[in-house]
Amino acid sequence: MVEDGVYAYSKTHEEGKMEEEHMMGHEICKTGIDELDRKLDGGIPVGNAVLMVGSSGSGKTTLSMQFLVDGAKQGERGVFFTITEPLFKLTKNMENFDFYDKKLIESGMVNIIDLRIISDRLGLDTEKYTVEDASALLDVLKDIADELNVKRLVIDSITALCYRLQSNEMIRNFIFKLGASLASMGCTTILTSEVPPNEIKYSQYGIEEFIADGIICLGDIDRRGDIVRTLQIIKMRGVAHSRTKSAMSISSKNGIELIPLLKSGG
Amino acid sequence: MATAIIDGLRERISSAISVSQSVGIILPGNNHSDLIQALFEYMYSKPEAAWVYVTIAKPYGSIVKQFGDMLADEGNIRFIDCVSRALGRYEIDSNCIFVESPVQLEKMLLEIMNIFKDLKGDVQKYLVIDSLSSLLLYNDVSLVAEFFTHLTNRAKLEDIHSISLSIEEEMEDNVNKILYLRSDKILKVRESFI
Repeated sequence: MVEDGVYAYSKTHEEGKMEEEHMMGHEICKTGIDELDRKLDGGIPVGNAVLMVGSSGSGKTTLSMQFLVDGAKQGERGVFFTITEPLFKLTKNMENFDFYDKKLIESGMVNIIDLRIISDRLGLDTEKYTVEDASALLDVLKDIADELNVKRLVIDSITALCYRLQSNEMIRNFIFKLGASLASMGCTTILTSEVPPNEIKYSQYGIEEFIADGIICLGDIDRRGDIVRTLQIIKMRGVAHSRTKSAMSISSKNGIELIPLLKSGG
Repeated sequence: MATAIIDGLRERISSAISVSQSVGIILPGNNHSDLIQALFEYMYSKPEAAWVYVTIAKPYGSIVKQFGDMLADEGNIRFIDCVSRALGRYEIDSNCIFVESPVQLEKMLLEIMNIFKDLKGDVQKYLVIDSLSSLLLYNDVSLVAEFFTHLTNRAKLEDIHSISLSIEEEMEDNVNKILYLRSDKILKVRESFI
């Protein structure tokens, strides 16, 4: 749905087949955050592409990294594609957390890749991608995931990537094809989505949330001037997920933790 | 006279908590120090148990100054201080978790449960909230009532005995009602009550 009406896109036979394969059979990918897995009725269905929505500082990167690290500790290789934060800064910030294990990076169980470097090496325009550019980038992401036999993948952020795509159709196609390819490899994906604070929206471009299999919203509420972080599952295909809002804590000792949000008063 | 009050309080706490899972204690402000002393003496007498003391009424630093001797030996008492960071004055102490502000009720609940979750073995667990009424200085009545309901429900599920203090002069009717409803036993402190 867009401002000037409703547009219908027909699926290609290939897209339809990939989607059908993805939806059949729901193995679960645990996030490693106990209360979040409970809210997800076990975890994220394997192969789902989940939009992790939040404004600046809401915890998207930390949660996504904790998801990857927990998977790595269970033997599931992961890749973190960063666009928004330089590699050295990202790893330096993550070292403050007890859950972060440098050995997992050294052993290749968690791979952190700067997408801007890939973009450079492909000779892509840093500002706007053509259809061919987007296709080339998609192929590289799929190849990396395939070669490393990745089971968990993060793109931080999909907003920054979509900024470079020139039309809504390109955005839709890119996310759909990426999600479908990764799903067929049994890879569960988190795409972080940057939104302005205190606005009820799930993405900058209004497309991503319709393609994604899941949406998890990180927000905050003001309580007498203090900010209480929150997390809510808006959508998750394949599981009977909780719809309640939780308070979220981020600490160096325990990483992300959830607890029921008190609802009364202010 | 003061010793008699403290001894009497200690005995009443001991008999109440031994039969009731959750005890509410309503006291006048000028008996607060006596009650705290009685509580710490009782805690000191049960070194095999694990205690979590949540302080909202006074900073952890001042409790240590006053009762430091009793706290040093056994190490079975962990503190959660909800006021010092808001005051901007605290020193890092391995025995105390400093919650950023008394408004962060969910964080308080989380820290309480995390301490008990980390315990090994079959240990008797006790929680002290000092005090419910102090929370009202920082939070709406309905929020405090909801917090206390959550807390006591979780405590019952996790087999934690709770002692919740409430200072008469700070109390509001709604929270009073919740204290009565959620506690298995209510003790009302008067200087002459023993």
